[in-house]
This record gives sequence, C-alpha cells and structure tokens, in this order.
Amino acid sequence: MNRNYCVMKSALLLFLLVGVFCPELPAQETFPRNDVKDQRRRAFAFLNATIVTDDQQTIENGVMIIKDGKIMDVGTSLNVPDGYSVVDLEGKFIYPGLVDIYSSYGLPEVKTPKRQWGGPEQIQSKTKGAYNANQAIKSEYAASEEFTAHDKAAKKLRNLGFGSVLSFRPDGVARGTSVFVTLGQDSENKLMLNPVVAAHYSFNKGSSTQDYPVSAMGYIALLRQTYLDAGWYKSLTVKPFIDQSLIAWNQNQQLPQIFETTSWLGLLRADKVGDEFGHQYIIKGNGDEYRRMKEITATGAPLIIPLNFPEAFDVDDPLDARKLSLEQMLHWELAPTNPGVLEKNGITFAITTYKTEGGRFWKNLRKAIKHGLSEESALRALTTTPARLVRMENKVGSLKKGMVANFLITSDNIFSEEAIIYENWIQGKKYIVNPIDQPEIAGKYTLSFAGNDYNLEISGKPGKPEAKIVLNDTTSIKVNAKVRGELVTLNFDVEDEEVSAGDIRFSGWIADNNIKGSGQLGDGEWVNWSAIYQGKLPPKEKKGEDREEDNLQTGKVLFPFLGYGNAELPRQKSVLFKNATVWTNEAEGIMQNTDVLVKNGKIAKIGSNLTDREAETIDASGKHLTSGIIDEHSHIAASSINDVATNSGMVRIGDVINPDDINIYRQLAGGVTAAQILHGSANPIGGQSALIKFRWGAGPEGMKIEGADGYIKFALGENVKRSRSRSSTRFPQTRMGVEQVYMDAFSNALEYEKEWQAYNKLNARQKATAIKPRRDLVHEAMLEIIRSERFISCHSYVQSEINMLMHVAEHFGFKVNTFTHILEGYKVADKMAAHGAGGSTFADWWAYKWEVRYAIPYNPQLMQMAGVTVAVNSDDPEMARRLNQEAAKSVKYGGMSEEDAWKMVSLNPAKLLHLDDRTGSVKAGKDADLVLWNDNPLSIYAKAEKTMVDGVIYYDMDEDRKKRKAIREERARLTARMKAAKKGGDPTRKPFETSTIGFHCDVIVGDNFLYLGEN
Amino acid sequence: MKIHILLFCLLTGFVNRVNAQTMVTPAGPQETPLLLTGATAHLGNGQIIENAIIGFDKGKLTIVAKSGEAVNKSGYEIVDVTGKHIYPGFILPATDLGLAEVSSVRATLDNDETGLVNPNVRSIIAYNTDSELIPTLRFNGILIAQIRAFGGLISGTSSIVQLDAWNWEDAIFQADEGIYMNWPNRETRQFDFSTFTFKTSPNERYDQYIAELTEIFAESRNYRKGDYGNKVNLKLEAMKGLLEGGKKLYINANDAKSIIESIKFAKNMGVEKVVLVGAGEAYMIKEFLKAEDIPVILGNVHSLPRKPDDDVDLPYRMAYLLHREGILTGLAYRGTQNSRNLPFFAGTAASYGLGREEALKLITSNTAKILGIDDRVGSLEVGKDATLFVSEGDALDMRSNQLIHAFINGRKIQLDATQQALYQKYKSKYQGD
Repeated sequence: MNRNYCVMKSALLLFLLVGVFCPELPAQETFPRNDVKDQRRRAFAFLNATIVTDDQQTIENGVMIIKDGKIMDVGTSLNVPDGYSVVDLEGKFIYPGLVDIYSSYGLPEVKTPKRQWGGPEQIQSKTKGAYNANQAIKSEYAASEEFTAHDKAAKKLRNLGFGSVLSFRPDGVARGTSVFVTLGQDSENKLMLNPVVAAHYSFNKGSSTQDYPVSAMGYIALLRQTYLDAGWYKSLTVKPFIDQSLIAWNQNQQLPQIFETTSWLGLLRADKVGDEFGHQYIIKGNGDEYRRMKEITATGAPLIIPLNFPEAFDVDDPLDARKLSLEQMLHWELAPTNPGVLEKNGITFAITTYKTEGGRFWKNLRKAIKHGLSEESALRALTTTPARLVRMENKVGSLKKGMVANFLITSDNIFSEEAIIYENWIQGKKYIVNPIDQPEIAGKYTLSFAGNDYNLEISGKPGKPEAKIVLNDTTSIKVNAKVRGELVTLNFDVEDEEVSAGDIRFSGWIADNNIKGSGQLGDGEWVNWSAIYQGKLPPKEKKGEDREEDNLQTGKVLFPFLGYGNAELPRQKSVLFKNATVWTNEAEGIMQNTDVLVKNGKIAKIGSNLTDREAETIDASGKHLTSGIIDEHSHIAASSINDVATNSGMVRIGDVINPDDINIYRQLAGGVTAAQILHGSANPIGGQSALIKFRWGAGPEGMKIEGADGYIKFALGENVKRSRSRSSTRFPQTRMGVEQVYMDAFSNALEYEKEWQAYNKLNARQKATAIKPRRDLVHEAMLEIIRSERFISCHSYVQSEINMLMHVAEHFGFKVNTFTHILEGYKVADKMAAHGAGGSTFADWWAYKWEVRYAIPYNPQLMQMAGVTVAVNSDDPEMARRLNQEAAKSVKYGGMSEEDAWKMVSLNPAKLLHLDDRTGSVKAGKDADLVLWNDNPLSIYAKAEKTMVDGVIYYDMDEDRKKRKAIREERARLTARMKAAKKGGDPTRKPFETSTIGFHCDVIVGDNFLYLGEN
Repeated sequence: MKIHILLFCLLTGFVNRVNAQTMVTPAGPQETPLLLTGATAHLGNGQIIENAIIGFDKGKLTIVAKSGEAVNKSGYEIVDVTGKHIYPGFILPATDLGLAEVSSVRATLDNDETGLVNPNVRSIIAYNTDSELIPTLRFNGILIAQIRAFGGLISGTSSIVQLDAWNWEDAIFQADEGIYMNWPNRETRQFDFSTFTFKTSPNERYDQYIAELTEIFAESRNYRKGDYGNKVNLKLEAMKGLLEGGKKLYINANDAKSIIESIKFAKNMGVEKVVLVGAGEAYMIKEFLKAEDIPVILGNVHSLPRKPDDDVDLPYRMAYLLHREGILTGLAYRGTQNSRNLPFFAGTAASYGLGREEALKLITSNTAKILGIDDRVGSLEVGKDATLFVSEGDALDMRSNQLIHAFINGRKIQLDATQQALYQKYKSKYQGD
C-alpha cells in the first residue's frame, strides 16, 4: 500500500533540489505604477529568542535574519549585516508559521442544490461545455483561477498562528486542483506560493444535480470508472472526442492526491480505491480513527485530521439522557485521545482546522496533548508534515535559510497554557495578534475614588486584562477593563449608596506599578482615582476540562464501537455439544440425543458419546442444535443500499459494508449467522451484493465470506418503473420497457466482448494504431452474468415479469439464480423449476402495494411443491431476527413438514447463495455456524441461547446479560464524568438521539435527501 | 384438514370451486344450539379447562364446563373437537382495517382525514366490510376489531366492529366509543448526512400543537355548558362524550415524558376515561401509570429496540414488564396488512415472561376490558357472546394456529377466502387432478 507513496517521495525530493537553487524572482515588475519608484528593503534581525526551527531542533538564544520575505539565516552567533532592523526577543519564542493543508480559504462558497427522489430525473450532466459525462467529475477546476484573498477570513486563521494554507473547492467527487497561499495581506500574485498544489476527491457530489451517483458505493463506482476512462483516453493517440475533465484528470495525477472522508469507514474505502489504481491518497479523516486503528494503520495513508472534540452532554435529567447511546457518550471521552493514538501507531498526520470551531483550536490541541499527543508530534502535524505532504516543505513549515519568512513570535512554549501568540509574520510582514509590549498589570490593587476604597483584582494576559472589584468572599462586580499601550479604561457599576450609583467610567495611565487617572461618576461628576498595587494574585483555580486532577483514564474502545461491542474479540475454541436434538438438514434428518464436536471453526464430528479433552462441553439436553439461519435478502450492515442509474451493475455493496450495525448483534440473538446484503430495488439492474457472515466486531473486509460467488440485484415492477413518482421521466416506465433494459444491457455486453476479442487478436504493431476499446464496469458485470460468473437475485412480484426475465436469461444462455420476494412465484412455479431458478420469499407479507395484491402465504409451499428451491428471507432488520418463525408459517399455510420449513431459512438459502458446500447444515467438515435453541426452533417460544459463526460464539444468552450490566455501568461512569465536567463549568449540549436507517429495498439516501419507499 | 378439503373437492367438483370460495358470505344467525366437546378451552381470563364442554345458543354462551360436570345437553348438536383448542375470539384494537386496503395506492386509503383536529370524523362510516384483508385476520382467530383513523392531533372517532358483516351498520359492535389523539412529538427526527444517522431535535411546533389541543378541549367544555347557544359545532359536539364519560380518549404517545404530559393534560381537561396507545417507554414510568390507573395498548411487539443500548429483547418483554406492575395491558398491531399475526405477538409475550394463558389475555379479556366491551366478549363465560374459535393446536404459535371452526355471536363464519382459493387453484395445477 505504501509503494506508490515512495515513488511520490522521490519525485518530491527532486522537486526540492530544483527549488532550492532557483534564483530569487523579482516582485511583480509587470504591474504599472501610480507613484515614484519606492522599493524598500524589508530586512529584520531577531535576536536572543528561543527559536524552534522545526519539531526536531530548538536553538536557544538564537538569531534569525529575514529579508524581502525570505529567511536569510537562522543560527546562534550570526553576524547581523548592516541595514537590518534589530528586534530583541529576549525571553520570547519563535516558531514556524503553522500550515493547514485543508481549507477553502478565499474560494467562493459551494451551493448544494435541493435534491429529492420523486421528481423528474436528471440522467445527463448539466455542466456546460466539453466536460465529463458526470457532473460530479470536476477535475478541470483549478482553485487558482478563483482564489481571492479575503482578509477577514485570513485574520481568523492568522490569529490561531497559521501562516499558509492549501485551499480547495469542496465540490464534486473529483474536485480539481487546489492552490497554496499565505494568509498575508497582499496581491494574490504574491500570496500564491503554488497555483497547482494537489488534486482533490471525495464521496460527495457537491453541486451536481445529476442523479447518479447518490450513494457511497456509487461514488466509488464513479471513481473507478473515471480512472479507467482517463487511462483509456490518455492511451489514445487520436482522441475520438474532447473531454476536458479527463485531460485535467490525467494532468492532475502527478500531484499529491487528497481524499476527503467523513468517518473511519470512508477512510478505509477511499484507501481501497487508491490501492486499486496505484495511488496512496492523503486522506482527510474525521477524528474517529481511534475506533479501528488496526485497519487504519494497515492503509499506510497519511492523514489530515480535525480536532473536533464534542462537548459533554447535559445528563441532569435521566429520561432525557436516555436518548444518548453509549457510542455518543464514549466518543465524547475518546475523541481527544485520537491524535495521541495516531502518533502511537506511527501514523503520519497533519492537523486541520477545517470545519471546526476556530475558538476551540488551541484548547483542543492542548487537550489532545494532555491525552497523549506529544508536543513534537503536535508541532510536526501543524508544520513540517502538512508542508511535506503537499510538497511545500522547501517553502513553509520550518525555519531554514531560503524559506518563506512565515513565523510566530510567542511568549512561551506555544503549547503551554500561558502561551500568547504576539506576532504572526507572513512573507516577512508583521501581523500583530496580541501586542507584544503590553504592560503586565495583573495583580491586586486598592482602587480609591471619591473617598472610598475597593479591592480591585486584575487578571488575564497582558493586553487582555480581566478585572473585578471584590466586595466579599462571594460577591464581586465585573469591571470592563481595556489596556492600549500606557492607557487604561475601566467601566463598572457600583450599587453603593455612599457613592453615586450608576455607570462609572474611568480613564487613566500606568504609573510604575500603579494606575492613576480621572473619570466620571454616574451623575456626571468628575473625580480622580488611583489603583495602588498590593501584590500578586493567587494562582487561578482551574475548572472543568482544564483541571489537572481530571482523570485521564478512559473507557475501552469497543469492537464494534457500540454498547454491545467487545473490548476483546471472542475467540474460536473447541466446543462439544452433548445430547442435543440436532436438525442436520442432511439425510439423517432430526437426530435425538446427539453430540456435535466443533474444532478449528469446523464441525469435526457428529455422533453419540463423543469426547474431546480440549473442548468446552455444553450440556444440550432438551435443547435443539441447528445450523445458523441464513438470510437471503438483507439490507443491514451497509452504509447505502440504492444507487439510481437504470443499470447500476457497476456499484458494489461490498464497497460499503458497515460492521458497526447493532442489527448484526440483534440478529445473532435470533440465530442468524450469514446474509446476502443486497442492493435495493430502485433500478432494473441494481448493484452487486456482498455475502457476509455475522462476525461481530470484525472490520468491513472481515465480515465478507471468503471466496463466495458474486451476486447482483435485479428488480422488476413498480419500483423500477417509478410507479409512485408522478413526474418521473426515467426509462423504463412499463414492464415492457423493463424487458428492453435487459435485452439492451446483455446485447451491448456481448458487443463489448467482441470488440475486446478483436482487439486482443491484433499484434503489437496493429494495436499501436488501433483504437483500444474502453473498459466498462457495467458491461463487465453483465458479461459475468452471461458467463455464469455472477448470479442474479431478482426482486419480482407478478407472474408476467417473472416469466419475462427467465426468457431473457434463456435467450442469452444463463439462468436466473434466484427470484426474491417472488410473491406470485406460485403462479409460475413450474416454469421456475424448469428454468432452475430458486425462490426466496416472504412468509405472509402482502397488500402493501398493488403488485402484491395476490400474494398468498401458501407461496413457499406451492413453489416447493413444484420443485423450486425455496427460502424465506427478511428484507427487514426486525423480521430477520425471527426468520425461524417466518419459516414456521408454512407449517400453518399449506402444511409443510417442519424439517422442510426449517430448511427454508438454513440449507435452502445456502444453496441459493452457493454456500451449501460449507454451511447450511450440520455435517462434519462444514463451517461451525451453529445455533443452540431452548426449544424446537420453529416454535414461537424458541430462543437462541448460543449463536456460533466459524466456531466463535458471538452471541451467548448469559454473556448478553453481562453485557447489559456492563452497558449500564459504563453509562453510569460516563454520566458521572459528564456531570463533573458540567459542574466544573464546561459547556454542555442537550442530549439528542441518533438512530440508523432501517434499510429495506426501496430506501434511497442521497447527499441531502432521504427517500423511504416500501420494499 | 386435508381430508376435509379433499372431500369438499369431491363434492363440489372443480369448475365453480374457485369462485365459490372467493366470495365470503356473512353467516346467518345461530339456529341450532351447539356443544363443543373434548377440547382444551382457554377461557381468556387466565383459566384453562381441559376436556371442556362449551355450549352456546342464540349467539350466547350457555355452558362453559369441564367434561363430566352436570350440564343440560338436551337440544344441543354435539360437535366433537377432542384434542383441539378453543379460544375466545381475538380482538385487534387501534387498527385501520377496512379503511386502508393497499398502503401505496392512495385511492384505496380512507384512514387519514386532512386537518389537525378531526374528532368529528367517524371511522365506522368508511369501514369496508368487503376489504380483502378481513378474511385473512379471521383465518387466524381475530374476530373483533376497533377501527380508528390515523393522522393529525385528533384523528377521529373510533368504533368497534365484528368481522363478519354485510355492511358497516351490520358490523357495528359498539359505535363511536372513543376518540384517538396523537400527542405531538416533543422532538422531531432529521437525517444527518454527515453522520448518516437520524438525529433528534426539539419540535419547534410543539407549543403550537399543545395550544391547539388545549383550545379544542377548553371550547368543548364551553360548548357543553351551552355557551354556543343553538349554534352547532360538529367538532365540539363530537368531543362532548369525552367530558361526560361516554367516550374514551385513546392517547397515542411513546416517550416517557410525552406519556406523563399527555395523561396529565387529559385529566386536567376533565377527560374521564383515558387509554394509552403505543406506549414505547411506558415501562420507564410504571408508577405513574399505576397511580393514574391508565391501561395500555402496546403498539408493536415484533419491533426493534428503540435505542442501540436497549436490551435486545425489550420490545418482546414489554408486556411482561407492565403486567408485572399490575398495569392492564393489551396488544395492537402496527401495519394492518400483516395484522393477522396478532396472535403471534401474544406468543412472543408468552415466551418472554408472561406464560401462555396470561399472554392470551393481552389479545382477549384485557383488550375487552380496555375497550369497555368485556361484558360481552374477551373470555369464555356463560352469558357472554359466543364469539370464539376452535384451533387444531396452540393458537399463539404459528405452527399450530389452524382454525377449524369460528363463531361470531354463535354464527359459524366462513374461514377460507381468496387466498385459500388461489392455493387450491395452484395446488391442483402442480399436483395434477
């Protein structure tokens, strides 16, 4: 994963060498003048400072000389040449100006259009001109063309200590290039240090109004296709058409590639795309990386991370606090550990202020340091690392000869609580953050006026005094105090009858240790006043999150990061089930008083009186042991379900598996061990499925079933013809059109195959002049289907459409593997059996839409009677945890045998998913995917006591009780901490509830819209 | 049952069978006194009689006894149901059965009137006795239902029906017995695209909605006092029954604070009979419900826990948690199309703490008490309606919920309908005739 990054590094080194020897360029001689020539030398020498040149080197009593915006030299005993203004910085510190490589400073705001799924579709891009077919591919955009300095925004960043930033426009999946600028006040020509610094990408289409893509998996598919398109386009000597986006895309490949993500899951997904196309992205994360360090570390990606540490919640009201999940509470505690955890794991990272509250930047940085981030690492993440990542390390990020004179003058070690940033020098020009020579006036005073004495206390930093009049131990009056140079202004209100009450306004000057002046009382009378220094203030009591005694002990990271997650993942072990009633799903049928031995994740032996010395014995007398339930049709554990292109065969659910879905655990508790996670039904050809096992706590890749066959979702009927949208214009609108979509897709795929075959036959010389065919991910998916390398699970309801798809398949020489839903399957079950299609259906759902009017609960029994392999599936996160009961309904409706009914949720779905060679029955040699039930598994009274996947017990009723207790205790601990934080004066927020979407077939989530249809 | 069907096939021939079966014809009044013997009778009040004799005449139960007890059997036609199970007809409350046919087809929906405050709209008016959903419920033992509208703050006036009728007048079991109110959500849910989750935030219209509700209740009081003279206001007229105790107020509320607020509100407004519906977090405030003596109709047993940290089986155990505290609890079913599964809600509650006979009460006698119709239905007791059914086995378990006979007021109703006709049609296709 790192290889490409190394290549980038050596290119970078080359650039660096060239850069150093570049002669200094004259400044803007091309501009007309409206004055006499007035070129002044801006040359300064800073003496006696502690100079932190970078995170590696600190020079005590150092000298730094700068001229015309450049650092001339840094060292200890340097001679200051003539003509330099000398600045004595005795006791002060110099740091490199901070670098933020993630900002959109100086660029116009991106307007996101209001989107919905219900109106007329937009199939084509609306970008004007010769650009890419997808409106979200904006590689042609160059931030340098729009960058305009904006001093108000610059000042905010300058005041935090930043001197230069990378600026990009956050718009599109491919966002074009960014610019690198300083934060000074000057013409853009001077501020711009590099007009083309990096190329940017994201999983967000921004201002694009085009429908496709809407989902995380669609963004990935679009990126993959664009990489292929761009490579093809580049390879053509004669371009068949002009695509300025692809031209730019190809040019941009030489730059550092920066990818924005919004969670650790997105981070892993982006890295995977990069791996496929030989790029190591620099990835903008979201600060939750601590949750999955193993996977994050494995990416090898340099990161850009924000310091967005959430505020504590106000947990005073227990009913309101119930809205919070343990995840939210624990994140509050663990977010500040994230930078330290990244450091500990050796990850290269830069820190950004992007989309965070500027006012909390330093507070949060110090908090991160308190929670394990070293000061060196913090400085590195704000200077040399960001500079190096975008190849600007020869200009900014450290203090060396030849660098841009971007530096900070501070009162102290910049990371200490007391540190004040005095000046932020940018390109050799001074910007005052806090006046450097503000007199220190903190202390206790006796304030005297009109014959009265008061105790005045002035605290705060020089230049920023905070003052109050202390009346007694508990009451004081706030004094509004201002200091500018030698002049002092005080405003307050004394409600004291001896003095005339009301507004008192004093103006004065500093006189040695004391302050003196004149002023006006509330009634307008002029008085003289004085504040006589009495001594130092006692050290300030720290409060809230600043308190030293704050317990830095935090809760443990859970896998997955949910209340029911595990701090330690459960392990595979040898288990011997004794005396169970075993539903084998094999010729042996249901075996009484039988032992089953599990070893190395497999079913080792089935028999009676088995023994094994290592194995943990479980008494299963009176209990039923079955293979795990397999859900042929599920939409849990995925971040998105639908994309919206009519043929979405290129999108893959496998790209967006989300292992942190509580429904995985809930379904384990219902005896489910594996599922097909299907794309939704928004389109005749949906995306590719992922087959997963419920390995609770594994990462997204660890959930997938190794070596499983590829599947794809097709859909027919009301959803794909957009029946519930009155203004839909998307083809197809009828079942007639749906058939044509398939005929078209498969015909085109065969043509595509021929084109490639013809091309591949050419010899090298012929190839050189021939037009190479373009690789197309949709065609490739269709070809896989035709070649029976990918299998269809087709959402279907009425008999005509079922019949139709079988005809299409037969025309192209393949079989429809599974019809799912298939509520009118009973009407054409004989044809399905003859074709060889399976049926995966609902037990008794019906009447939720017109096309299910004639759905009957006898459907499974009738299909089975006709010889179809029948499964009962969920398409619903709640029903999935009771699939055994759904299967049992066929005993009621049609009198199916219990053994056959049970197979509909175990062996039959395994067959439909081509997994029956490894799971789906209790047979020696198969995977130990087992469930121990307290009763006949088809009974409504049955409960899963233990659910095992690959020999690992992921759900155990007794462990579950312990987890409930642990959740309660951990919540109580965090509640106490939040209460303490609030008591200490920390800001808090009102609790709010978060919940995930319960996905089913027809849910579409776009960038800013959510469409909840009906199955 | 198979033999029965085969016999039926032989007798009627195939040609007209499908059509004949599709039509569901309401049964005529009970003409012969019937005596069901030999079954296990689950009385619906927690009691069970093994080897029971259950007799009824002219639509009323006349004998509920154990075999061997001295009873007058003369004139009764004996139906031997040895080994079977007898249950009182199940009651489905809070449903839009007959008002909504196909949820995605607007033309088939009469369950949600426009406007916020509609106490005057009456569900019974739109109740369609020919709804194709009805036979599927009867097939599983549901013989009585309370029909309500949805939507708005006050959805409308509900009525209770029996499920074998020619038209809505004929179906009325108790007309206009209650008003359904939806307590406004204290919080609203928005989808947050940055975290890809729903987030709640305070409902900005909450106060406005409360003001709306306060006004309609206050004005109904004034109306009742006669402040409006001879001016007729249909909404206020409809509300009167709540204040006079003739009508029940069914409050739909889920989170704990909304439950407290809504019930306090109703009591302060002078409503005498209040029922809590939905009640997702009722288990958090059991003491309050006990103190206020509020019965509860739980919304959905087969649902996911509301919060990720909640006990995985919390919705399954909810009825038990309330029952344990002595709170009168019944079950409703969210999603009318699937509401034929109501018995299995009770089955789940049985397995999660309640036990079978206590769980049975959740869909029989408890619901009858909550709806105020326990003088006539909800349990097998002499003098009550002969609204009951015979099942092959345990009717709370899907494997054995197999109805053989069902009676409403002693009328033997038809169980098979379109779905069974389609089954027979295709079964014969695949089996060959």
